[in-house]
Amino acid sequence: MQAPGQLKAAHSFTRSSSLLAWSVLADSAMEHYRGSFTNPAMTLPLASSLCALMAGIHSSGDSRPRRHVVRHAIYWSAAGIGIAGTAFHCYNIGKRPGGWCWNNLFYAAPIGAPMALLLSGVFGDVAERMREKPAVQPRLLGLPAWQSTALLCAAGLLGTAGEVGLLHLRGSFQHRAMYAPVLLAPAAATLLIHAAAVRRKPHWAARIALLAAQWLGVIGVLFHARGVARSQGGWRNWSQNLLSGPPLPAPPSLTALAMAGIAALRLEKAES
Amino acid sequence: MREFEHDDDVDFAIVGTGAGGGTLACRLSELGFRVVAFDAGAWWRPLEEFASDESHQKKLFWTDERLCDGETPLVLGTNNSGKAIGGSTVHFAMVSLRFRPEWFKSRSLLGYGADWPLDWREMWHYYTQVEQALKISGPLKYPWGPKRPRYPYREHELNAAAWVLARGAEALGIDWTSTPLATVSAPRGHSPPCVYRGFCVSGCATNAKQSALVTWIPRAVAAGAEIRDLAMVTRIAVGNNDRVTGLEYIREGQRQFQRARHVVVAGYAIETPRLLLLSATSRFPDGLGNSSGLLGKNLMVQSNQAVWGVMPEEIRAYKGPPSLAITEHWNYTDIGKDFFGGYSYMSQGPLPIVWAGALNRRGLWGQALLDEMQHYNHQVGLKIVGETLPQERNRVTLADEKDANGLPIARVTYSFCDNDKRLIRHALDFMGRALDAAGVGDIWEETNDTCHLNGTARMGDDPRCSVVDGDCRSWDIPNLWICDGSVFPTVGGVNPSLTIQAIALRTADRIAALAGRGELDRRPQKKMS
Repeated sequence: MQAPGQLKAAHSFTRSSSLLAWSVLADSAMEHYRGSFTNPAMTLPLASSLCALMAGIHSSGDSRPRRHVVRHAIYWSAAGIGIAGTAFHCYNIGKRPGGWCWNNLFYAAPIGAPMALLLSGVFGDVAERMREKPAVQPRLLGLPAWQSTALLCAAGLLGTAGEVGLLHLRGSFQHRAMYAPVLLAPAAATLLIHAAAVRRKPHWAARIALLAAQWLGVIGVLFHARGVARSQGGWRNWSQNLLSGPPLPAPPSLTALAMAGIAALRLEKAES
Repeated sequence: MREFEHDDDVDFAIVGTGAGGGTLACRLSELGFRVVAFDAGAWWRPLEEFASDESHQKKLFWTDERLCDGETPLVLGTNNSGKAIGGSTVHFAMVSLRFRPEWFKSRSLLGYGADWPLDWREMWHYYTQVEQALKISGPLKYPWGPKRPRYPYREHELNAAAWVLARGAEALGIDWTSTPLATVSAPRGHSPPCVYRGFCVSGCATNAKQSALVTWIPRAVAAGAEIRDLAMVTRIAVGNNDRVTGLEYIREGQRQFQRARHVVVAGYAIETPRLLLLSATSRFPDGLGNSSGLLGKNLMVQSNQAVWGVMPEEIRAYKGPPSLAITEHWNYTDIGKDFFGGYSYMSQGPLPIVWAGALNRRGLWGQALLDEMQHYNHQVGLKIVGETLPQERNRVTLADEKDANGLPIARVTYSFCDNDKRLIRHALDFMGRALDAAGVGDIWEETNDTCHLNGTARMGDDPRCSVVDGDCRSWDIPNLWICDGSVFPTVGGVNPSLTIQAIALRTADRIAALAGRGELDRRPQKKMS
């Protein structure tokens, strides 16, 4: 067994995984409650994200340089449920009249949402693996760990940009700020991919974009809270407007991905 | 709000504040004209004054007495009337459709009705302006007609009744889409997104509906127009020079007179001809602007027949705007028809009293009605907006009976022609098949409903065959204008509100252009052919 060289990186990815798990927990609880849990499988993401969140809390107090079998299994199952959820949401869209039309993409099961659970599982898995990696030149998935995790984050950011783009299009981009995540997430992803391709450069542009994305996720919650306020009845009618207004738990997933991206760039230092 | 004196010679006195008058009041005042707009109805504050109660909300309807006769006498006073600032847009179903381009030349291109003096490409431009002003929520891709710009707001989520339309259309192999609606699907200014309360045709209590009351009227007031509510205009005054000098109206029990350099009548297809007929003088014995003899004639309703049935599962059709899905297939398809004209059909969401009324007319009463009302949550239906042909025998005249102000009331004579009946038969058969294909049971037809009124002061190119020109200006009196659904030479198979507003925007632009050329107060001599 190696020295505990990558514990810090492991904790970073655990934080991203946990934040994503929290986002999925809150979001799927609200949305699936709204959908009256018509299918019993709609409880699965709640259970899975709750387990991932608890695994994350356990992991943050664990400084042993080896993976934890139960935690790792939880993360794998989260990823699996995320994939199954995506397939299920696709089925839900396709079976409705109109099929893959805009109305169904806007209002049927959101096609990108279960991906957040997949990402939570993937980052949890990365965190578990990083515990066992050497302090110098750790590798993951056949690449230097910082590159492979950076590419993972970039993929996640692009997916998020797609999801946000679709839902903000549904909201007609009625507020200018709604363009921010749609522009920033792909920009950060592009810079991250560029950074991963060009080694040993100060990746300040990628860092700035990721930091901005990280904070945009926080600011996004405030914007969404204002969106709830602009619904009929505002916050006084919270029990309805939380469900029908912009989703409060959604923007933090951008924060989680940006944090993971920053952790990936930090890992590059282990290369020298 | 700016207020004018009675002796102020305002540029425009507008009678009516709905889709025509409200829109025109807004644009004319924004173009710098001094405008007073009159409406017989009240200036409601929806957030405080609208109840979730169909009976109470009848206060939005024009229920003054009228006489209806003809072979198919009209039922007036609900879906075809409005008495409020904002007119009938306060309780309209928000369906915001463009005309099929060919309809503007239906005589030349399709062989029926009459040609409009307007070009569809110009109207396309004004349609876009209205859609932007009302932030119409519509589909990203509209299946019919020439390319149109993207609707400013996204389409609404469909209710179960709309999905029944979709399933029926897909089973019969025709296109369908979500309906472009004048209610916002996302926040806009003080308007919250639609909460799908379903009381749209009884008045929107949240202001999500983009009626004239919440769009054009506030803009008009901001631009310096005066809106005079609860003011019933009773006569347009004409001076010795055969020019309009102002109008008489009753407000707070007082007969009053407002001077004006121009008068615009925008009182919809019954009150507009009635007011012009009431204003007859010795110089204009048949009513103002009636040298063609066509004032009051060519009244066109739109047929509004429906097919209903029951689904095994709950539908709750009353949730959300009543017409969330539509097919315009039979507006744009000319083969397979044994009639002229077209129709669209939409999903429906009648509120309980309206629904009980429909069942009454079906002959249900007592226990049978109670039993049928038990299926309210399961009932579902499709309803047309069908084109009817202009006929001179369908007309608005003055009756001998008088109203509370001592003025003759309107007599409305209406009969469907054979073409109208063939269109209705075709629609009922087709919709019956669509419902059947969607799995609806116990299907029955509602054969006797009508909606929108148009066409009693048609526009045209020839003073002998029309009441106003393409600018909505009277051929006879150059400072008299008519700007509402009355000017339609044909109605098409779509709800008229978007077209009325587009015409009003065009009229405002034309008035500004004429003023710029010095032709507003004097019509240049027309070269007669």
